[in-house]
Parts: sequence; C-alpha cells; structure tokens
Amino acid sequence: MIGADVVEIAPVINDREVFLSVPVRMTLAEMLRDRLDLFGVKLSCEMQVCGVCTVLVDGQPVSSCTYLAADADGRRVSTIEGLAEGEQLHPLQQAFVDHFALQCGFCTPGFIMMAKHLLDRSPDPTRDEVVEYLDGNLCRCTGYAPIVDAVLDAAGRLRAEP
Amino acid sequence: MISPPRLDAVPKVTGKARYAVDVRRRGMLYSALVRSERAHAMLGIIDTSRALRLEGVVAVVTGDDLSPLFPRYGHIIPDHPILALGKVRYMGEPVALVLAEDRYAASDGAELVEVSYQDLPAVMDPEQALAEGAPLLHAQDYGVGDRSFEEAHSEPRSDNVCHRVELSWGNVDQALARADLIVETCTDYPMLYGYAMEPYNALADFEDGYLKVITTAQHPFMVRDDLARVFSLPLSHVRVTSPYVGGGYGTKSYTKVEPLAAVGAWYTGRAVKVEFDATGAMLTTRADSARVTIRSGFDSGGRLLARDVSLTLDTGAYADNGPLVLSKASNRSFGPYRNQNVRVRGRAVYTNTVPSSSYRGFGAPQVSLASELNMDQAAQQLGIDPAQLRRRNLIPPGERHYPGKRPMDADLAADLDLLLEGLGWEAPCQEGQGIGFGVTASDAGAYPVSTAAVKILPDGSVLVSTGSSEMGQGSRTALALIASRELGVPLEQVAIAQSDTHATPYERTSGASRTTTLTGLAIQRACAELLSRLEMAAAEVKGGPLTEIKAAEGMVVGPWGDVSFGEVVRGWFGGNLGELAATGVVRRVGELQELPPFWEIGVSGVKVSIDPDTGQVSLLRLVTVADVGHAIHPEMLKGQDVGAATQGLGAAFFEELVYDGPQLVNPNLVEYRVPRAKDMPPEIVTIVAERGDGVGPYGAKGGGEGTLNPIGGAAAAAVGRAVGRWPDRLPLTPERVWRMLRGEEN
Amino acid sequence: MGVLPAFRLLRPRSVSEAVGWLNYDRLAYAGGTELLLAMREGLLRPTHLVDLKGIEGLGSVEESSGEVTIGALVTHTQAADHPIVGARLPGLAGVLQRVGNPRVRATGTLAGNLCFAEPRSDVAAALIAQEGEVEIASPQGRRRMAVRDFVVGPYSTALEPGELLTRIHVPIRPDVRFVYVKHQTAERPALGVALSVNSHVSVVVGAVGLSPQAFEVGSLSALDVAEVAARVEVVPDLTGSEEYKRHLVEVYLRRAIGRLERGE
Repeated sequence: MIGADVVEIAPVINDREVFLSVPVRMTLAEMLRDRLDLFGVKLSCEMQVCGVCTVLVDGQPVSSCTYLAADADGRRVSTIEGLAEGEQLHPLQQAFVDHFALQCGFCTPGFIMMAKHLLDRSPDPTRDEVVEYLDGNLCRCTGYAPIVDAVLDAAGRLRAEP
Repeated sequence: MISPPRLDAVPKVTGKARYAVDVRRRGMLYSALVRSERAHAMLGIIDTSRALRLEGVVAVVTGDDLSPLFPRYGHIIPDHPILALGKVRYMGEPVALVLAEDRYAASDGAELVEVSYQDLPAVMDPEQALAEGAPLLHAQDYGVGDRSFEEAHSEPRSDNVCHRVELSWGNVDQALARADLIVETCTDYPMLYGYAMEPYNALADFEDGYLKVITTAQHPFMVRDDLARVFSLPLSHVRVTSPYVGGGYGTKSYTKVEPLAAVGAWYTGRAVKVEFDATGAMLTTRADSARVTIRSGFDSGGRLLARDVSLTLDTGAYADNGPLVLSKASNRSFGPYRNQNVRVRGRAVYTNTVPSSSYRGFGAPQVSLASELNMDQAAQQLGIDPAQLRRRNLIPPGERHYPGKRPMDADLAADLDLLLEGLGWEAPCQEGQGIGFGVTASDAGAYPVSTAAVKILPDGSVLVSTGSSEMGQGSRTALALIASRELGVPLEQVAIAQSDTHATPYERTSGASRTTTLTGLAIQRACAELLSRLEMAAAEVKGGPLTEIKAAEGMVVGPWGDVSFGEVVRGWFGGNLGELAATGVVRRVGELQELPPFWEIGVSGVKVSIDPDTGQVSLLRLVTVADVGHAIHPEMLKGQDVGAATQGLGAAFFEELVYDGPQLVNPNLVEYRVPRAKDMPPEIVTIVAERGDGVGPYGAKGGGEGTLNPIGGAAAAAVGRAVGRWPDRLPLTPERVWRMLRGEEN
Repeated sequence: MGVLPAFRLLRPRSVSEAVGWLNYDRLAYAGGTELLLAMREGLLRPTHLVDLKGIEGLGSVEESSGEVTIGALVTHTQAADHPIVGARLPGLAGVLQRVGNPRVRATGTLAGNLCFAEPRSDVAAALIAQEGEVEIASPQGRRRMAVRDFVVGPYSTALEPGELLTRIHVPIRPDVRFVYVKHQTAERPALGVALSVNSHVSVVVGAVGLSPQAFEVGSLSALDVAEVAARVEVVPDLTGSEEYKRHLVEVYLRRAIGRLERGE
C-alpha cells in the first residue's frame, strides 16, 4: 500500500529538538501529552472552539487537537511549559496570577499562549482588540474580565521591559 | 481583608498543575465506549468478536460481564447501570467498554462492536413520559442509597415519576380566595450542559488489594461509597483521589465515569484510563430543564398572601442527583419572602434523555426565573415599583420564612439597595434598554458533616488535610488562609493536602457553597485543638501551670517567655522528630442543628440593550452583590460571583440542549454555545456586603453560586422591560426576542 | 477523547504527483481544519490524505494581469496579512480577518474552505461577490471556473475525483465597492451578505441556505431587499427559523447598503 502510516519527525519543542516516530493519525496534542508529558496542553472540545489545546507552531497559534503531529516536523512548537525562564514567570503568567485571571486553570495555558501570540504581533492592543482576539477561547469560571485585564497589564509590563 | 495570590496560581499558569486527566500509569490500558444508538430499546446481541480480533484490543466489557458485581450506581436511587443491562434508556448510554493497549486500538475496536436492539417506544419529554399508557423506563425497585436524603423512598414504579415533592403550610386556597390580585407565571428553563472544561475521566487500578481511582470528582468520598458497593469492598479498601479538578460547578458531583474505569481494571487486572471528550461528557450528564408555574396572591398594598407552585423537572434516563435537585428546587421556588401560605408540588420525571444531575444553583435558577418574574409582573399590575414590592415582602433578618428551617441570616433589603444603586435603577433607561434584577435565598451548605486535620511539623510549618476538592473555587487558598489566621503562622508556611479518601479526613462534598463555611469551621476547630495541645506539650517540656501558658499568633507564651511552635514540637518529641496533630469535626449539632447551615443569598442584576432589527441582546452592565457574612478572600469571592453570573447569563441568552426526536442535536461546543469574551458587559460591578452573620469562620457563610440563581429571571425582566412584554422562557435567543418585539406569543 | 481514524499520508512534491494520487478515497489535505474534524466525527473516511504542503509554488500570493492569485496553501491569516491582498482586495482582507478564530485562520486555507463547501462559511460568499475564480489541475490539464459555479451545494463542489484546486484568482477592480456583513451569534455565521457594486450590483447571500446564493441587479436603487429576502433559499436551524432568517436577510441587506452609502 502506498503512503506512510508512521513518520519520523524532528520538531523543535520549546527550543529543544526531539526525534520521534509517530503514527500519522496522531495529533500534535496527543504527541505532546502522550509522548512528551507536556500536560500543560489540555483537551476539551476537540473541535477548535475552546482553545485549551492552543500551542504556537512557528509562532502561529494552532489548535493542537486538530493538527497532525506529522506536520510538526521541522517546526518550532511552543507550549506553556516553555514560557517561564526557570523560576521567573513570563509577564503574562505573572499578570494572570496578579489579576486572579484563573480559577480551575484548565483554560489558562491556552489563553496565555493565545495572548502571547497577540502581544508578539500587537504589543499595545486596545481592550476591544484583546476581547476580539480572545473571543475564540472559552473560560467557564472567570467571566473573562480578569483575563482581559491580565493581558492588558502584561502588555504594559512587556513594553516597559528593556 | 487583603487577597493574597492563589496558592494554585503558579502551577496553573506554568502548565504544571496536574489534573486527573494528566495522570498516567505505566502499562495502563486505554478505553473507548460503544454507546447506544437508540433512545429506548432492549439490547439484543452484542457482537464483540471482530473487536477482540483487532491487534491491541485486550478486552471488551459489556453489562453481561458484570454479574459478579453490584452492577449499578446512584447515591439516592442506585438505578444507573455501569454498562447497559439488557436495556438502553437513552441514546449515548454506555453499552460496551473496549480496552486496548493504546487509544487508537481502543477507538478502532469500539467501531467494530456490533449491537442489535429491539426498539421500545421512547418518551422524550415529561409530557410524553407522564401521558396515560406511557412506556415505563424503570419498573424495578432499586432500593435506597444515601440515607441522609430523608425523602428517598423505595417502591416498585407504576409511572415515570422519579421523585415527588409535596410541601405546604398555611392554607393557600383560602388565602388566594381573599387576594386582591392573583398573578400566574409559567416559565420554561432550558436543558443545559454545565460545561466543565476538563471532561469526565478516571484512572482505576487494583493494587495491594485496594481499588485506587484518580478522578475529576468534586465528592471523592461519595464516589468511594458507590465503588465499594459495586465491588463489595470495605470502604477502607477504596481509595479515591481528586487532583486539581478542571471545573466542577456541580457537574462533577457524585459518581460519573469512575465505575467504568474500575470495572475495566477489575476485568483485565490492569490499570484502565477512561477519558471523554466534551461530546462524551455531554452524553453523560446535564442539568434539568424545568417547567414552573407560580400563582401568587397579593393584597392591594402589595403584601404577598400566598404562593402556589407546581414544577416539573426533566430528569432524564437515570436518577443521579435528580431527586435532590427537585427537593432543592421546591425549597427555593417560593422566594425569600414573608409568606404564611405556601404550597409546592414538584415532580422529577424520567425521560429517554441524557440523565440530569446537579449544576450550579441546584434547582434555584430553574425556579427563580418564574418566582422573580412573578414578582415583576405583580408589581406592574399593582402599580408598585418592583423593588418596593420586594422590600415589602423580603424576609427580615432573624425571621423564619420556612417553618422548621434556619431563620434568615442575611439583610436582604440592604443587599437589594446595594444592587439597585449599582444598576442605576432610579435613572431612566433609554429606548430599547432595560434593567432587571432579582433576589433569592437558597438552602445551601448541604448536610453539615466535615472533618479536617491540622498538623504542626518540627520546623513550625503547618500541614492542613481536608477531603475537599480544589476545582477552581479557591478552597486550597481559602482554607490555608483560615489555618494561617487561626495559628498565626504565615501563609507561606502552610501546606494543604486535599481530596484523597485514604490520606485526608472525611468531607461530605465540595458543593452547595459549603467548603469555606463548613470545612473552614472544621479547620478552625482543629486549629483550636492543636493550640491547646501545643500548650500542654509546652507545659510538659518547659514546666509551669497550664493556666499561664497560651498558644497564639505563632508562639507559645508562658512564664518562661516565648517559644515557637516548632520548638515545642521538637522539645516534646526530641531531636527534630515528630508532629503535633489535631482533628476538627463539624456535625449536625449545636448551631448547626438547624438546617440549612446558611442561606445562600443571590442578589444580582443586569442592564441590557436590544437591537430592534434582530432581537439580539447586548449586556451593558452586570452587578453582583455577595452577602457572605465575611469575605475571607475578597478577590476570589468576586471571581466566583462574576463567574457564576456569567454561567447564568449563558442560560439566559445562549445555551440550550435541543432534542430532535431521540437524538440530541447539539452535543458539541460548535452547536452548544456558551458565553464568550465578547458577550461580557463593558461594566461589571461586584459588591461585597459583610455583616458577620454566618455560622462559618469570622461570621462567613457560603458564596459562589448565589449570583447565578436570580440572574436568569433578572435577564428576562430586563429584556421584558426593554421590549414591553414578559418572556416566559430562556434562552432569550435573538429570534425569541425579535418575536417578542413583534408582539407574538412566546 | 476522540481519535482520528486510521489513514495513510502521501506527500507529493508536485501538483502532477498530487493529482496522480487523488481519488474518491484519497483526499487533498492542507490545513485540515475542516477535514480532520469531519474525519474525527466519522463523516469522512479517506484511506489517504494527500498532503499538499510539500508542493512548491502553492503557498504564494501574487499579482499579475489585473488579478490577485492566492495559492492553495495560503491560510486565512497569510492572505489577510499579505500586502497585495491588503492593497488590492481590502474588502476580502476584512472578511478573512473575521473568519472563525485566530487558530482556524492560522491553519485553515482559503482553498480548503472553498473545497469543503461548509454552508455556514464567509469565504465562498465573499469570493463569489468578488467574481473570484478557481484554477483546477487534473491529470488531463488545467481548467478555470468561477467560484460561483464551483460551489454546487452543501459540502459539494464541482471538483471531480482526481482534481485539485491549486489557486484562487480574484480580479482587481478598483471601481468596485465591496461590503460584507454577517450575523453571527454562534460558532459559525447564521448569515453573511456580500455586496459588490460598480456598473451593476452583485448580491451574495451566504450561510443562510445550503450554499451561497447570488443575485444581480442593475443598481443599488433597483435592489429590492424584500424581494431578495423572499427569493433566497433558507435552511432553518438552531440559530433561527426560516421566517426569522428571511427577516435577517432583509435587515443585513439594508445594513450592507447603508455601509456602502456611508462610504464605509
């Protein structure tokens, strides 16, 4: 039969190149969780609606629930686990802590990765831009307002950084 | 009080927090379910042979395999088969569990299982289920589960009524006969899915003769009880652990998927993981839809004379927590008003739909829609301001509005005034805008049983053990704060162990807004006991009369000066050894004799604007009032209030599970639409009223769902005022509002 | 959690290699935002996915002879952010910026969106109103056809098995005023209305029926919104009844006209 059912891939995950043999039907989320123990990647709706599985691939946000692991070959994948510098939280993470922008925390990694992409692209967003951008991520606990506050605060902190 | 950072915040923002779904065992089996494709049918042959031949598939378990076990669960009525037993009662019901070496083989195996059915007529809503000659879902007597639920009864069934409630005092008929005005309100509250983002999952293993289950459960001790019965194990031989719970809201109350994982482990002798996606979770449990009719009699001055309530809940295929939801809905249906004449008749009805269970608010949102709209309609007909009508009737502090229950432990009129100020009720609204508000009081706190343990370790640090679960509500932080405050030990020195039936003390449940109040009390009592043990130990080590020794604020003070807690522990045991421990117990005695332990107050409202062309509603302002006696952590409290209100606004404007015949049309998050960031109002006002009037620590009482309870009625009233007609159902979708604008009947 | 059904992956390096492999059971795959979901739901069971991402030349946006050409691998985000699209097709860029959510836009391609022919989609309606065309490769050669003719029904296109949509061509028409408005209260739009106006008026109503529906009139003043609302085919669903959706068509047509008249 033609075509591969298993492929060898070499993605760069949080700045570390890894070599894996994966079934082509394996999603990126399954690979990150089942193979690499990166449990900050969550799964919930599995339909690209909720955003808890968000990771960045070559800097772009993707729903890792609906993205083939095979397609990560040679690409840079960033997950929540790669955001802090050792014990030093990323300003977005610190802002989420300070603003009580989480409760159960299940949506938090996805929101932070989405916000990371937003601020990489647009360092000084308006409140409406943040709301618009994060409208594709669901949170069932907070009512969103503290998340938006945290992202705006983090934007300010990041702009103030040297 | 200041609000220190949440103790779980850093693990949660770094992705290091472990949820049940993240827990793995080497060599564990993955699973996939074969679900019923029929709403109501006798099961024929389940052919598992093709699945078993698939590489990687280890076993397929069906109901027939469960005969050595007690094959059902259900804490009130044990009517719920772990896997269908000869009959299926809703589309999506688990029929077979496929176990395999990896998730792909499990899924492929499940597709190869062939099930044959002999259809039975199905009843898809309460009306069909209650009709003359309707097919019975359950004819069998299942016996009674939890004896603390006093209404539970056991008898063979002759109809599809799962549970009935009749409640009354005074003489409603007489009072209505002499009323100047009778107002009748009938509302439909939608069937909801209380989407917790971590879907149901569990890992089970038999190890060392114990059944060990790691699950996303709010009430691990109640899950333990169900599992012990299934396997005829002593309670001591079942260990249920809940790590961080990825959202609960009542949807993870009681047993859900744990028996599936456990029978898989029992059948194969290996660890088994059961993981659902959101669709699987939506086919597991939902919240009751409700039709509620309230007739109220008033005198011409607006005094409430009587309320006559009838309510019907659609409980779905199995009882789960339905009877208790009905009981709570009944208790919450007549409002927090002085009222000498009340009659409530309620039914929870079995239908061939996904079983319903508790969801935040626990019956209150369903009934408050009718009861608070009824007040608004009465006010309009009486020509009295709706706030004034409520003030005239709200139960004053210390007065009993429900015979046999705790007197009102809140100042509802003062809360209402705070709310109205926040909403700008007195200022006129623009065309197309409206304000709605509501007041509720729920018998919350559940049955007051909690235990907690607190230890001082030789270095003076503190370990708190509690059976309560951290599901986002902040119990980890709030309970540690209480221990820190009681002992005078800095929060950084306090650690907390939670929700493990082997390692932490008994906790009835993490629900009913009870943890801060009741578990908090247990911790407070444990701390008091611990302080006196420290004093005794210090007396022994250092000498001196006990009356002159006082442990407080992190030190033991005696005639010999101050010594640290750690020094006392080390001195008593020697070297760097030992620990001093104490347990605190909360039972239904003393000031907790009277139920409920506290009334959970719900005071919230919204201002809305309506697009006259499309009927689409925009939220302009949300105002919440937390009447919690004392805010132990104000920021987390406000987060609970806004979050709860937001969930209620989901029901008010978007959410509804829809059946088309036997099939759920929208069991996924594309078609079942929950609130999003853009839906939130630009103005959110969170008010905290602290009057020290609760039974909990420092006068605290529970919060966390209060603001949800009246918000559906408030949203309906706001839309009603903007449109000029009163809605009679939720959600207020654009089309429904558009039809109201056109003057059509709902 | 659900897993994808088994399939095999083919990775052609050229269009001709790809079209040599494509057939009923071997489906073209680029972003996968629709395809992988449909597979997980059991709605599609391809034996093979033919991954186009290794084919050179399908990932570019180019301008030539009065049209913008968008390759089959271009995502919504890439197109929306592309300077040529921004300068020459600002109306389309605006539509693409509001498709789905940022993750869907970052992975999903315009070509995939057209080929999946999900009725509740913005892209097809906008491209039809802009008189877009698709370029289709097959073992027999290439052909071009209007997007209007390409989308033939729900989840159904004019693409034959073995054919591949390689490029989308959109004419640059500086004289045309374009507006797109939509009613979206759930995950997918309930209605999208595109208006293109120059010497004549092209109205495309999307999302409300089984596929986008186009109407032509001579001028804006001749556009009878009530008539369009009455003629348009409407499928009732959870976002509204037929009556309500017809009403929405009227409302949003008026809104679109209003925006054009106000020069927005």
